[in-house]
Amino acid sequence: MSHHLFLLSPSDTPLYSLTHFSSKPAQTTTTSPLASNLPSWSTSAFAGTLTALSGATSATQAYHAQGGTVRMGGGQDRHVIQMIANASLDVIEEIVRKDNLMYLKSVDKFNEWTVSAFVTPGNMKFVLLHEARNDDGIKSFFHEVWELYVKTMLNPFHTAHTPIRSPVFDARVRASAKKHL
Amino acid sequence: MELPAFASLAHVRILLLPVGNIRRSTFDNWASEIRSIESIPLGDIPTESKDERARFMPNPLASGHIHLSYQSHPPASVHNALALFRPSDFPLGVVGIASCSHSDSISTTLASFKSTVKDVSLHKAAFPVSTNCFVFEEGDANLDLGDRFPGLVVIPSMMANKRVHISTLLAGLCSHILGDFATVMQSLESPLGNEHLNASLFPSLPSAGELPRSLDPESAQRDSLPPLPSFNSQPDLGVNGSAKPKTSAFQKRMSSGPGLIPSRTASLPSTPTSAAAKKRPNLIGAASSHGRLFKVLADLFLLAGRHADSQIWYTEAIALFKGSPHDTAWHAAALEGLATIPVIEAWSSGNATANGIDDKQEPWQDIVDKLTQATTLYHRSTPHSEPDRSYPLLAYLYSQSVIRHTSLLFAIWSAKGWGPHAFGKMVHPGLNPYLPSSSASTKASYADLERLTTITGITRTQIAGILAQVHGPWLLHLAARERIGTLQTVAGMFGALGYLRKEAYILRELLGSIMDLIVCGREENSGARASGAGLGIRGTLVGSSSTTSGTVGVRENPRVEGNDSILRIIKHICRVHGVDIESVKLVDIGTLGTTATCNAADDAEEEDLSESPADPFGWPELQIGIIREAIAVAEALPDYPSVAQFSLSSLKTLHPVMSQSDQLHLYRTATRALTTAIRRGDRRTVEYWAGKPIVSIEMLPLPLIRLPIEKPLSLLARADEQTGVNTILTGAKDPFLYNPRKVASGQTQSVLVQNERFEVVMTLRNPFVFDLELESVALSTSGARIESEATSIIIPANTYHPVTMTGKAVEPGMLTIRGCVVQAPGGLPREYVLPLSTEEEEETRSWRRSAIESEAGRSKYAGLESRPWKRMSKRDSKQASKKVTVQFLECKVVPEQPLLRIRRTSLTHAAVMLYNGETSAIRLTLENVSSLPIDLIRLTFDDSTIAPAQQALADGELSVFETYETEYDLIHRPVFVWDGGRDTSRVDPGEKTTVSVKCVGKVGCTRGAIHVSYAYIHRHNETLGKPPDVFHTRLLSYPVIVTVYHMLECHAMDISPYSRITAFASIAEDDDSAAGQAQRALFDVENVADWCLFSVDVRNTYGSPFEVTFERREPGVSFLDCMSTTVLVPPGSTTRIVLPIKKILLSEERISQPIPTLSDRQFVVVKSNLSLAEERAQRELFWYREELFKAVRGRWRETGGMRSGELSLRQQRMTQPMLEALRTETARVQMSLIRYEDGKAIPIAVDPSGSKYLPPPNEFVCLRTRVINLSPGEMVLVANLSLEPAQHTIYQGVLSDIPVGRLAPGDSYETELPVAFLSRGRFDILAEIRSLNVSESSNPVGRGDLRAVVDEDFS
Repeated sequence: MSHHLFLLSPSDTPLYSLTHFSSKPAQTTTTSPLASNLPSWSTSAFAGTLTALSGATSATQAYHAQGGTVRMGGGQDRHVIQMIANASLDVIEEIVRKDNLMYLKSVDKFNEWTVSAFVTPGNMKFVLLHEARNDDGIKSFFHEVWELYVKTMLNPFHTAHTPIRSPVFDARVRASAKKHL
Repeated sequence: MELPAFASLAHVRILLLPVGNIRRSTFDNWASEIRSIESIPLGDIPTESKDERARFMPNPLASGHIHLSYQSHPPASVHNALALFRPSDFPLGVVGIASCSHSDSISTTLASFKSTVKDVSLHKAAFPVSTNCFVFEEGDANLDLGDRFPGLVVIPSMMANKRVHISTLLAGLCSHILGDFATVMQSLESPLGNEHLNASLFPSLPSAGELPRSLDPESAQRDSLPPLPSFNSQPDLGVNGSAKPKTSAFQKRMSSGPGLIPSRTASLPSTPTSAAAKKRPNLIGAASSHGRLFKVLADLFLLAGRHADSQIWYTEAIALFKGSPHDTAWHAAALEGLATIPVIEAWSSGNATANGIDDKQEPWQDIVDKLTQATTLYHRSTPHSEPDRSYPLLAYLYSQSVIRHTSLLFAIWSAKGWGPHAFGKMVHPGLNPYLPSSSASTKASYADLERLTTITGITRTQIAGILAQVHGPWLLHLAARERIGTLQTVAGMFGALGYLRKEAYILRELLGSIMDLIVCGREENSGARASGAGLGIRGTLVGSSSTTSGTVGVRENPRVEGNDSILRIIKHICRVHGVDIESVKLVDIGTLGTTATCNAADDAEEEDLSESPADPFGWPELQIGIIREAIAVAEALPDYPSVAQFSLSSLKTLHPVMSQSDQLHLYRTATRALTTAIRRGDRRTVEYWAGKPIVSIEMLPLPLIRLPIEKPLSLLARADEQTGVNTILTGAKDPFLYNPRKVASGQTQSVLVQNERFEVVMTLRNPFVFDLELESVALSTSGARIESEATSIIIPANTYHPVTMTGKAVEPGMLTIRGCVVQAPGGLPREYVLPLSTEEEEETRSWRRSAIESEAGRSKYAGLESRPWKRMSKRDSKQASKKVTVQFLECKVVPEQPLLRIRRTSLTHAAVMLYNGETSAIRLTLENVSSLPIDLIRLTFDDSTIAPAQQALADGELSVFETYETEYDLIHRPVFVWDGGRDTSRVDPGEKTTVSVKCVGKVGCTRGAIHVSYAYIHRHNETLGKPPDVFHTRLLSYPVIVTVYHMLECHAMDISPYSRITAFASIAEDDDSAAGQAQRALFDVENVADWCLFSVDVRNTYGSPFEVTFERREPGVSFLDCMSTTVLVPPGSTTRIVLPIKKILLSEERISQPIPTLSDRQFVVVKSNLSLAEERAQRELFWYREELFKAVRGRWRETGGMRSGELSLRQQRMTQPMLEALRTETARVQMSLIRYEDGKAIPIAVDPSGSKYLPPPNEFVCLRTRVINLSPGEMVLVANLSLEPAQHTIYQGVLSDIPVGRLAPGDSYETELPVAFLSRGRFDILAEIRSLNVSESSNPVGRGDLRAVVDEDFS
């Protein structure tokens, strides 16, 4: 069971991202029978062609990979995860304008992913893609990340657009993820 | 693919087909005419009399409608399995549209229509289809057919209101269709039919012939497709053994009402329960439940517009489906149908509150519930049999259901609530239901969208949440067309909701699907062709180059329609992700002949973009991925200019975040694509993209010998009278410490010469990691015309690169260098201007930069609002930027100028070696190498002594005397003197001329320069305009290295009164040579008192002997025949030179003049604080010294050599005693001793040198003192005498204040004093004359002395 955390600046640029594989057992979500027995996408000629043409490895497979048969673990295409996180900003932005909550619980769902978000007063958005419900854990995780983020922001050279590369921050976020997710 | 509307379940679908030869426009015209009839009132349907077919016919007074929807394409064959499950998806009627002008062609038209229908329905059309063909008359053809062709209707062109007619015809068609429904139903109502219905998840209609006891109905049906007419004609329906339902129905109809409303009673039980009760026993023999049957029945009633019946049967069916695991899909479908009914009814009544609802719930809540349930059911349903076929269908149904659900909410939301508008949208949505309907082009703002939410209470999140359900892996089950259709709808809805990122996400998938089809289709084609050819290179992905048999390459014309739309989708996706993929514009070459010019503001903006601290927008990883995809799509289309555009735009905008390999890859792709595009003759190309390359531009100054110097013509007139002293003295320095004019003209323009080359250095910048190739870089100028060639260069990666451009101005005038025109390979040229960085400009720029700086890092606008172009437009730095006039680099081009060069000189290695004071001549031969004559040559000089002297003068620390000395040195003893005079020699083209320069050795001079200024002034005036008041000179410089040996130096100059002794000592008595005689002659002076002796020490510090000659010049006699003394000064020795010179007396006026300054300096401040007397003394010293130097001149000559020169005495100072000796006294005193013998005066003997009197001792002699007034005025004088030693003398009378009386000028007075010398020895007698009428009579005006020696014995 994996979680993907993105810290997005007000201009939608990721400042920090984390992929966390939870040790907790994956809850068996109700999968639709429709999602099974898919035709293998490799028969689709364009997938191969486009990949070959663009010279890229991952970028163009986005829409094929999301239907990939491997659902758990590392099989998910990173690009797709990012696309989903990016797309969920639409909903987050709308809700933020109406409610003044910071923690937006399960704000969006896309494919198998549930998106939860946390919006700081500085309009930083923490976006977490997860599969199972774990409201309390996620909430406390977000609060810890926020605290860490605020500590990072105390650095006068750190603006709202500076990518976070601090190893300390990274280690602490990982520890927090391990604890709560 | 048109996606079904919300109420599509209630739509009778009709296929419109073109028949025969019909033009597309005509077809479209008539088709749209037909399409406009969207619904037909039930009352208009003609009811047929046949009983069995009248089952679905409307009541005569029914108020409902049959809704029609039209298609131009038959449904996909894979969906045939849904024929019974969802009859509304299939065309139930076919209308052919033909256009005819001759009656003869009618039959062929009909034939072709029939064959078309057959073709279309060739795949197993599961449902009976009613056909009709409309033939529209063309022109004035009059086709009177009568009833010759059944199934074909001619619509005369004469007919006025065709729409009504068509509507009637369609009503007839509908009636036919409704009849067919009954037929189908009949066949299903049999137990066998029911079994058939329950055989599989998606059963097919049993064919009439195969119905009994077919073991494998599916395959049988597929194999043996019954021909259409059999359905239409229904020949043996009754024979099927399904008499029971028919009879029952008949019975019911009979029983419930006699004849008046037979059709209505035929199927409608009075209550559902009774109907069910009656039905069930009828079908007891069947093994399966009747749920599916009831559902089909309800579907058909819904289509027929009989909603009440439909609702009853749906409810029945749902009741049966509950608990049946195999029928989840059917259950869901029934719920969908049930949900449709209220909407249709509401539409019919046109009233929002048509169906009574309680106040708590929204009116649509019930529908939503049903649909949610249906969606869930579809989601859960599992195909138990034949999964291969069922999965796609289930996925299709599921996605349809989700979209239906969403479209309900969406329609209500977008129509601002539950009302007729919303119903209209749901029932007849039109062609583009999900594009923003209110305003075609402008995007709805946030406020607009929120307003809809507030009105309706449906949030966008809600809609999006439901819509997102459609998205999942199951999309892959769908066939390509359905997938594209679904994705298109989903994307459209997201877009309309304002969820642009989600829209972009879906659009990417959509694009993938479409491109998949394009590429696959192309590969099939080219594959087939290649296999046919055998030899050919297999068609590559570009799809347009493949070979046919043989070696000739055949190029297909690629079909480009539709490419634009795909590219538009790409651009939209990229914009959402913050990549302006059109930042480099595509330009059609044909439309634009000139180079694109831009103003400075654009540049500044661009500069801002590039300069602004990276405040990035978006997700770099995603952006790069999307760009790659975009390029891949454009390449696959293929659209090469777009490929180039995309690559270059993204390079331009994203290069800061791109990796090196990405940049390289994009650059190569773009280059390749442009090459291909050009090769293929594409008319479009990209504009210049690589940012502003030019950083600085500067004019290389012309070499000094070519540089023209502007001078006013008035200077020529003045030059003749002026000596040019000033410039040398002051170094042409400005007399003002601060001259504002000079500051203003500080930025001097460069001066260029017509028809001569000049050079400009540009610094270009390449911010990319690859070597940027520029096809051409040219100067962009205005003003005077120039000739300049564009060059192609390669700027190395990530550097600043200087480029030297040469040009030639072909006409005089002002030349403005605006910047450069650059062109990348395959692109368009673009001009970049570079304004001069004036102070104002700098200020503006720094202001703007600081504004940007202060805005950076702040995020007032978040999300999509902060995309770069939006940010730019909101920035106040942008808004406040005002228009300033820009200045450019300007040069003045002057008319063509002549050119001189030094052909040869008389010097070797340009070096001169001189003794101090020596003069030598330098000759320069100049050649005119231009085609213009030279009519003015001027020489100026410079040497290393001038600058320090000028500096000393400028500092002003020198005393007046020193100042004069320095100035004198500068003016009267220059190192170089032009020998030739000022003759304006004319030098014609190609001719030579010689100038000679005198060079004087001056100690301290190490180098000098000869500057030849020349010009062509008297030009032929070509125009009638006023001749210019300036001319231009050029300067040719010849540097000279000067070495001056310092060999003789003078010191210890002295002037003493002429005394016989000194003179005597100076003359060697025994020397009888010529020199000695000359010497004697020199010292032989008549009146000793008029003379004084000038002496100076000359030392030879050099290694060879020199002869030194000093000459004296007497007034009125030239130096040539004046007296001189010559001495040989050996090396290392010092020789004293003595020369008698005549005393001088300068007039009072002369002396009272201040020490002059030779320059015209304005502010000469007298710094000395001397008293009047001291000042006077200083002046006297000065003027007498000047007079002395006029009288005495020193020269030297190399012994045994030819070299000679002058010896300067200017270093020598004059002191007061020397002055006294030199100056003629005011009152001369002549003293003598005489003795009276017998009343006769006898002079006392004098010693041989004539300097001493030898009086006898102890004897009175007379001291005669004679005073002569030599001054110009008369004076009253007294004399004082003193005798030393006084105690050894006796005198008679007084010694002091002896009155002399008033003496007129030239008069004399004699007085005598008897004196006796009492001892042996030397006696000095002094006389002092004082003036009485001069106030400050402290100084005596005259002195006299006399020496007497008594050496005789006192015997």
